[in-house]
Amino acid sequence: MFVSILRQGDFLIASIHTALDDTELLRFQEDLVTQIGTSRAQGIVIDVAALDVLDSFASSALRDLAQMARLRGAATVIVGIQPDVAFAIVRLGMELDIHTALGLEEGLAYLESVTSGNRAGGSALGALRGVDR
Amino acid sequence: MSAGREVIDQDARLDGSDGLAELTGLIRRVVAGRVDSREAVDDIVQETVARLLAASHRLDGRAVGPYAVVTARNLVASQWRRADTGMRHAHRLFDPRAAVAPDEALLEREEAEAIRSALDRLSPREREVLLAHEVHGRDTRSLADELHSTPGAVAAQLSRSRAKLRVEYLIELDREPPTGQCRPVLLSLSAGDKRRQSELDAGYHLLDCGYCAALSEPLFDRRAAAAPDEVRVAVEVDADIVVVRQRGRDLAMQAGFSAAEATMIATAVSEIARNIVRFARRGEVTVTVATDGDATGVTVVARDAGPGIPDIERALEPGFTTYGGRGLGLPGSRRLMDEFVIVSDVGRGTTVTMTKWRR
Amino acid sequence: MAEPELDDESELDDVERAAPRDDHRLLPALVAHLREHRTELREEWERRIETTHLLQAMTPHEVGSETTSVYDNYVEVLETGSVDALQRYARDLSERIIPRGVETHEVVGIVLLLRDVLARSLFLKYHDDFDVLNRVLDAYEPAANRIANTVAVSFVEERERIIRQQQDAIRELSTPVLQVRERLLILPIIGVLDSQRATQLTDQLLRGIRLNRARVVVIDITGVPDIDTTVANHIVETVDASRLMGASVIITGLSPEIARTLVTIGVDLSKMNTIGDLQGGIEEAERQLGFHVTRSEDS
Repeated sequence: MFVSILRQGDFLIASIHTALDDTELLRFQEDLVTQIGTSRAQGIVIDVAALDVLDSFASSALRDLAQMARLRGAATVIVGIQPDVAFAIVRLGMELDIHTALGLEEGLAYLESVTSGNRAGGSALGALRGVDR
Repeated sequence: MSAGREVIDQDARLDGSDGLAELTGLIRRVVAGRVDSREAVDDIVQETVARLLAASHRLDGRAVGPYAVVTARNLVASQWRRADTGMRHAHRLFDPRAAVAPDEALLEREEAEAIRSALDRLSPREREVLLAHEVHGRDTRSLADELHSTPGAVAAQLSRSRAKLRVEYLIELDREPPTGQCRPVLLSLSAGDKRRQSELDAGYHLLDCGYCAALSEPLFDRRAAAAPDEVRVAVEVDADIVVVRQRGRDLAMQAGFSAAEATMIATAVSEIARNIVRFARRGEVTVTVATDGDATGVTVVARDAGPGIPDIERALEPGFTTYGGRGLGLPGSRRLMDEFVIVSDVGRGTTVTMTKWRR
Repeated sequence: MAEPELDDESELDDVERAAPRDDHRLLPALVAHLREHRTELREEWERRIETTHLLQAMTPHEVGSETTSVYDNYVEVLETGSVDALQRYARDLSERIIPRGVETHEVVGIVLLLRDVLARSLFLKYHDDFDVLNRVLDAYEPAANRIANTVAVSFVEERERIIRQQQDAIRELSTPVLQVRERLLILPIIGVLDSQRATQLTDQLLRGIRLNRARVVVIDITGVPDIDTTVANHIVETVDASRLMGASVIITGLSPEIARTLVTIGVDLSKMNTIGDLQGGIEEAERQLGFHVTRSEDS
């Protein structure tokens, strides 16, 4: 498959393994949003390290995906954007207003921080308890 | 680079006063006489013009008109065949993935046999050289040494053999041609031999002979073989966008661009190829290595025969969008490249030419 | 065109068959003459160098030793016809004198002076026999021009090589990505930023972020004298691209003038994390990192 979606605890980890065309991207978007519903995930990590181009369509698709996920109660973080790709996105003029992190590890750490914060009302103590769980 | 120039020449010719406008009128009359729905007429006229643009550089001037008429008729016929799928899905006609039939295996077997029979129609020498090149990957230089010829002559022979093979293959899948004129006419069309087309009065024959008219469609519906310093991709479905941007990126790397710059070029190619799929449905993107004195660069040309852009100034403003996208396609591509020229003629089509120079 | 030429040649063949053999003996005679008068000719050359104010960056002693070498190499080329040794020497000489500030016109100038000094001495020696003088000069001039050419080209090539080397060195020095502590990078930008350097800098920073798995980057622009629109846009792009890679950016050392430029081109400074000086920037970065570090240690 071009995309794999794994479950880890409260989170889904979606890895894109090859370049996707527009139709495939929309299908991926749909699949992932469906899975958030069925798995009641608290957050999703989307690993795009394998993508060598993120053009305006792909960026929009990711942004829309993050918004749909939020409506379903899950936070989204994009990880693994390549240096060259990051620069091209910016030069293109995209404002990719999604949370991004360097790699999977950092992405999961971010999700832990935001979801535990939500569940415990945002107090530092609650945040720690959330991480411990 | 010669290909880049060829594209420009071709546009110039079709933009001529007696060129496309006149032909579009002719095509419209042919189609409107056969199809009722105005929407479907527009679709077929546009599609005919797109195919005409793609094939025009291989056609003798006098054959262009007849070819347009024949193509329009062919498209009307396929339109009828699939009328039940609904006019709005007309674009799927050209989606190869939509055409996958359940009896695919049977078709494949038939195709293999057709290819074998077509190969048998070539002369032993033609066959031998073609197989050595295509199957065993021998280059034209080593073949030329062996045959005591020049690489150019071998390449020309290969191109003639391929043209012949295409014709014989299509005849094999159909039936023997009804007249003695058919084979040479099809061959001249396949090889893009304008002189021979004119000698044979190929245009008149196309109008007259239903058999050749039907075969001329698949004969032209193929992707042109690309030279190593040139990428040429017909763009009509989403998947083509990915193909053309990957090949554009490879070419840019080959031309010595850094990975960061090659990514910018690939992103720009992706944007303008998407514009073709969205607005024109069908077109072509070529990527070539460009030189200017000591400077080396990459030039991308995207052509389509779509509806055209009424207000280019506005289309180049960030955020201007007509299909619910983010309106970054054209302005974004312009920022990613060094040079950006857009020529658009409403009702005729759009050509975007952009270049990035190596630093 | 081709046929008359052939005719001329065959005529010459008959009339002047003896001439080449004669010329063959001319060159050794010429070389012998230059060897014999080495000291006086070399001194005459040095005097000329002095009166034309060439090589003033060098001491008289240095000029003396270099002119001796050039002279000997010069005669050797006339004798052997091979410029290889001269080329090597010219490169070596260029490498030594370029850092002293010797210019191209000086090097070309001294070689042309030597050519003229030697030509004049040949004139004096053979001026009685105009025919011989002509043939001597025919043999001497092409060789002398070739020498001048070789020296000039070697010098220019060496100069270009050194300039390239220096540019690379400067470029590397001027865009260092420093890792101050784990996950924190500092990019001090010093000097004038042009578009090319800004692109290079972004490229280096983005790769540095991935390599060091950086989470915070401090870009210090205290050392940037002024900024135009293009470069300001580059900085904004760098900040955005770093964010996409997952690193937050703090900008320090923003002068009021540069801040004004940024605002003029429509940069929303409230979206950028700007802090007065580098020290403050590093403290802020550590605070951001410390927040994360404590948490992951606790969990």
